[in-house]
Amino acid sequence: MRDARDDERLLAALRDAERARRAVPDGFVQAARAAYAWHNLEAELAQLTYDSQRDDAAAATVRAETASVRALTFTSASVTIELEVTGRSVLGQISPFREGTVEARTSAGAVVTVPVDEIGCFAVDPKPASPFRLRCRTVDGADVVTGLIML
Amino acid sequence: MRDDSSVVALVARAAGSDQAAWDDLVDRYAPLVWSICARFELSSQDVEDVGQNVWLRLVEQLGNLREPAALPGWLATTTRRECLRVVRAAQRVDIPGDELEERLSPQTDAAAIDQEIIAAERNALLRAALAELPPRCRRLLSMLISDPPRSYAEISAVLGIRIGSIGPERGRCLERLRRSEFLTGLSDDEFAAARLSVPGSEPHA
Repeated sequence: MRDARDDERLLAALRDAERARRAVPDGFVQAARAAYAWHNLEAELAQLTYDSQRDDAAAATVRAETASVRALTFTSASVTIELEVTGRSVLGQISPFREGTVEARTSAGAVVTVPVDEIGCFAVDPKPASPFRLRCRTVDGADVVTGLIML
Repeated sequence: MRDDSSVVALVARAAGSDQAAWDDLVDRYAPLVWSICARFELSSQDVEDVGQNVWLRLVEQLGNLREPAALPGWLATTTRRECLRVVRAAQRVDIPGDELEERLSPQTDAAAIDQEIIAAERNALLRAALAELPPRCRRLLSMLISDPPRSYAEISAVLGIRIGSIGPERGRCLERLRRSEFLTGLSDDEFAAARLSVPGSEPHA
């Protein structure tokens, strides 16, 4: 049967549960809630199909030569997005070439929008300080979002 | 792992378009993600990055989780992997994953993370059960577990109940809590088992 010690234990368990919740900073929770903004975008997801850091990791010589620039390729049914990340910026090209806009959105919610020129080129400069995704919208109606990019 | 149908329902709603369901998931499991980061003793900037990556990955995966009921385990694994990535990047050396794991302290090994999952699931259920108690019980229990603890005199003054009634009312509220659908099947011993680190909480016959 229950006794006073059972009540004490249940209260202690409740106290632990509340303490664990209070330990989490408000900003941490707010950022997590904000991540839902990325859900159900009416955009096509472009998958990471090439990452020099990952795919060339086995070939040490290649990596040594290309250490200063990281190359990434994202592919969707309608477009391919090729990125070069330098120390300072992210340079990209959308193919097939066409104009549009690119939106870089960090997981913290900061958004930078840059134009895409007639040969599909764009630059995000300076590059985002935290992990981000790119959403590319072109004049002919393509709307593509990349997976999370961590530099 | 306990089958928690409410998690499955929340995941299904969030996979549709329901910010409130997402917020519920975050509120439930942010302490789990946080506590695992804390075990790795990361900088606050790194903790922020890990957290954001974990939740973004969950957003991406909402419709594809093979076992929504196992979400806490998925979150813990993803968080641990992100923490390891940050640790590896900070050391700026290429340590193979396995070796890095061997170097980790017992604070961050798989068994420790399993403990966090168990505690986090239980804590989430307890908070959910507490939240749906009638306001009067919720206030009383909240005051009883507040940190620092409130005296009975203070509780009596704030809630307007006689000091002599606090004990019996506390018992009634806890009994109500035990009957919550969130806690069905959880024995007092199981509550105690989640609190191994707390002296005096060991199960008794």
